[in-house]
Amino acid sequence: MDKEKVLELEQVIEKKLNRPMLYYLDLCTRCGLCYDTCHAYQGIPKKEYSPVGRAEVVRKVFRKYFRPTGKFFPWWGDAREFDENLMEELREAAFSCTGCRRCTMFCPFGIDMPYILGIAKELLIAYGNAPEELVMLADGAVEKGKSVEMFKEGYQGVIKDLEKEVQKLIKAPTSEGLIPMEKKGANILFVGLSGAHSIIYPAAIFNAAKEDWTLSYFEAVNFGFFAGDSEKANFIANRVINEAKELGVKEIVIVECGTAYRIPKFLMGPLPFKVSSIVEVIHRYIKEGRIKIKEGVITDPITWHDPCQLGRNGGVYDQPREVLKMLAKDYREMNPTREYNWCCGGGGGLVALDNEEFRIKTGKPKKEQIEKSGAKMVVTACENCHLQLSTINAGYGMGVTIESFTKLVGENLIV
Amino acid sequence: MSDIKADVTMDLKGLACPLPVVKVSQQIKKMQVGQILMAETTDPGALADFPAWAKTSGNEIIDTVKDGNVTKFFIKKLK
Repeated sequence: MDKEKVLELEQVIEKKLNRPMLYYLDLCTRCGLCYDTCHAYQGIPKKEYSPVGRAEVVRKVFRKYFRPTGKFFPWWGDAREFDENLMEELREAAFSCTGCRRCTMFCPFGIDMPYILGIAKELLIAYGNAPEELVMLADGAVEKGKSVEMFKEGYQGVIKDLEKEVQKLIKAPTSEGLIPMEKKGANILFVGLSGAHSIIYPAAIFNAAKEDWTLSYFEAVNFGFFAGDSEKANFIANRVINEAKELGVKEIVIVECGTAYRIPKFLMGPLPFKVSSIVEVIHRYIKEGRIKIKEGVITDPITWHDPCQLGRNGGVYDQPREVLKMLAKDYREMNPTREYNWCCGGGGGLVALDNEEFRIKTGKPKKEQIEKSGAKMVVTACENCHLQLSTINAGYGMGVTIESFTKLVGENLIV
Repeated sequence: MSDIKADVTMDLKGLACPLPVVKVSQQIKKMQVGQILMAETTDPGALADFPAWAKTSGNEIIDTVKDGNVTKFFIKKLK
């Protein structure tokens, strides 16, 4: 690797070296407690798939350029310089981690391993070695943000068709106006995904609750964040934030997508509106008596899978459980659960990559805990989790049903 | 209806995010320059996602046909 490139990559690291990052990079004692906490290591027990194994790839290159022992005595300081092999190892480290932070729960020092891997992702972007799929999806999202005016008319036409589906669900006399768009001063801006299901069921629920809401032109998911490109991630997140500011809404409500919830909720600084997950809003409507659902309608045993970005990293635990206990006669908790719940293995953009065999193997702890619960239906509220749970279900021939929380509520509204 | 004859067709109806664009991107890589891919999708977001992807990836959407809730994209591989 030429000197110019090395210097550029060094600068990428330097920009990321804030106080918490230095703490996380310097503090690990290699106690090894994190090994068994990672679903990937459980599925493929190799050091490179352990939390500390991944972080060590970053630490070695950090020591080489930013610590005297690594700089002058690399063999003593356990340091490595940039080369092709290192970049490949960084890629394997960064994109075998879902960012679930289960390891952080068990680390005696609370080291945030995915935060460290943020360095690896930025290095891969600078080197041009980031996963092509994620870069492509991020570029598309940025382009959509720049050219939204071109797409508005076509999108409005398709949304008109979806209004008929919403009408059927809530038995409304007309489909007209069931999915409002560009409504200034609405209480809520709802941000969905590309799929029709991600809009139809929330729309039915908002209408049943007589909410004053409007639909965003953009999709909630942030592939810039998954790719680790902070510039694109900010641009993509700001598309929705600017839309919400222009409309003057009081709250943005994020579809079933863990990362899409976490970014505006925790990572974009103070915002002039509230950020909620659709899960929280559904729970709120039920508690306030604004919507009613069919109680005890599900007779098979069911369980809830906490999406890591909604649960462990978002703090939303009780709301979905309370709603599911109303809908189902036999709700079962998985073990371990809540902040210690096993990641399904699909987060961090991994479901967009060509890695199904890896994801089936690393989904083994989730498969086992679902089977132990005896549930016949697994409900979740994250599109990534839904896709990955479906992959595990098919891959291991489990024969359970994977269901979306919002869809389940939408189909069981009393209207 | 479109008169365009596709070399490859893909049924992407009902797929979860972000698979429609990912699968189209994977398929177009296997095709020859000048060939046409027809992708059917039910995603409302595809109306914006596909043209945005085509623009950034250097391909061309030569026709878009709406048939009920299904949208057909005719994509020409340019490079």
